[in-house]
Amino acid sequence: MNLNWLSAFLITGLFSVVMVAGLALLLHLQLGLTRIANFGVVGFFGTGMYVYGVLYVRVDWPFGDPWQFLVCALAGTVAAGIAGTVVGWLIADLDVDAMLLGTFGFATMVFILATTQKSLTGGALGMGGLRFPYKLGTVKANEALWLLILVIIVAGILFYVARVHRSPYGRMLIAVGDNEALARSLGKPAFRAKLLQFTVGSAGMGLLGVMYGVLERFLVNTNLGVELTLAAVVALVLGGSARVWGGVIGAVLTIGVFDIVVQSYLPLPKSWYGQAIPVVKQMVYGATLIAVLMFRPLGILGGMRRDKLMRRVHGA
Amino acid sequence: MPDNTETPARHQIRVEEAVKSFSGRVVVDVDHMLLGDRPIEGLIGPNGAGKTTLMRMIMHATGLDRGTVTLIPNGSGGDEVVLSRLPTHRMAGLGVVKSNQVIMDFEKLTIWDSLLLSVADAKQETPYRMFGEKALFEQHEEEMREHLEFFGFADPTLHAMSAGEKKLLDIVRCLLLKPRFLMLDEPTAGLPDEMTEKVMQRVRALADAGTAIVIVEHDLNVIWKLCDEVHFMAEGKLILRGTPDEIRRHHTVIEKYLGEGHV
Repeated sequence: MNLNWLSAFLITGLFSVVMVAGLALLLHLQLGLTRIANFGVVGFFGTGMYVYGVLYVRVDWPFGDPWQFLVCALAGTVAAGIAGTVVGWLIADLDVDAMLLGTFGFATMVFILATTQKSLTGGALGMGGLRFPYKLGTVKANEALWLLILVIIVAGILFYVARVHRSPYGRMLIAVGDNEALARSLGKPAFRAKLLQFTVGSAGMGLLGVMYGVLERFLVNTNLGVELTLAAVVALVLGGSARVWGGVIGAVLTIGVFDIVVQSYLPLPKSWYGQAIPVVKQMVYGATLIAVLMFRPLGILGGMRRDKLMRRVHGA
Repeated sequence: MPDNTETPARHQIRVEEAVKSFSGRVVVDVDHMLLGDRPIEGLIGPNGAGKTTLMRMIMHATGLDRGTVTLIPNGSGGDEVVLSRLPTHRMAGLGVVKSNQVIMDFEKLTIWDSLLLSVADAKQETPYRMFGEKALFEQHEEEMREHLEFFGFADPTLHAMSAGEKKLLDIVRCLLLKPRFLMLDEPTAGLPDEMTEKVMQRVRALADAGTAIVIVEHDLNVIWKLCDEVHFMAEGKLILRGTPDEIRRHHTVIEKYLGEGHV
């Protein structure tokens, strides 16, 4: 297949858009439906990425790829899920402020562990040795296929989120997020529902961390900064945190516009790419978040429309 | 006092030495109270008597400082369950249900949603059951539509708008939970007369079918007409218990609550 049209820069840009869309979709389940404020997205993402990377590189596996990849990826995903259970257990019954602090604190812990446990993670110098679990001949072909696999995974997450909205489970999550006391009086185990939901969402974030780690093939602690969490939050809030497509639209409009259109197609001076653009990007994201919250707090797509959904599904 | 020779196969709730205080002020201090002895019982008393708090304590929505609340299933036909040790969400599964005094609703959910939420069980609400909506709806459609028609809800795909509609929706949600012990906290407050009558019809039918009903209500006409037994509370304590006639003729009740004009 001719991949000349696909530059390495474009693959990375598209990968970021799809990955952040995936994170924003998972965040939508937590924040948009269940009202669990998670400002530690990168912590769960990083847990998946580093557990995968350390196991893949440091352990002498008796079998090679793809089994080595699958086992390590499963371990990374499960580890992120377990982290989600522990953090969720601590924060699920707290108010929003405490949730934000608790999850942010967890992400900071993951960053510190990745930095200090040098024998395992390589610390600030990073850790190489990761590779794609297949060989197609060229790096570009390998990366393109990896991008395709990510698209399939995120499409699966999107399908799952859309189904959640149309299922009794989704209704229960919305009820718990909307009026927890009332939901409990109707027999809904609010704490357990939030914990389970947080666990599943965190595991999904861990899987996306695994995917990113393989694409990068070199893990370094700067991947675990607050920027990724901010990107997912901005994408979700901009698109509409209560809507299925909110995170996807938000990711396209933020990462897509900035990482692909601005960086790839605008004739910017090359000297800007090292320092100026990443800083400007964070400033623009921050300003976008403030502007959306001030002028369109429900995001581009607006609030949840259960009335339309119910008409479509059940009729009057 | 009521005739206790016939033990109904209804759920009963026993409250023993239950105390609750807020900021040092004792709001409920009930030594012993048995609810569900008769099909429909009223709980009356002046504002601040502790009626709503007591109901919340029974649901364990408000924790007890001390004391116990025990469910006696089917008029002692089953094993007793100490409700005050269980989380609130377990109550509905045991058939213990309470409507809300203040209007409570789900802002994001439509009327259909609210009803479907009530009828869905835990097995249908798991993260991996993504295709159960249609079956759930079909299974309960007739029952839900019957309630909607009876109470005159216009379009169940919309959100409940008025206070009265939200109040009715709260009651319908409770009815759909198939309660065996139903507590109604001022169920008719803010409802027009014809709706009050409809709610009372449903309550009577439920009681006839074997559900124990306890009503907190300030509209005493509802209490006198509907209840077989009335508990009178004041200052957090159970002061009196008796038939409506006995209660409305009691000197203390008249003095503390009713006033001469209401006897």
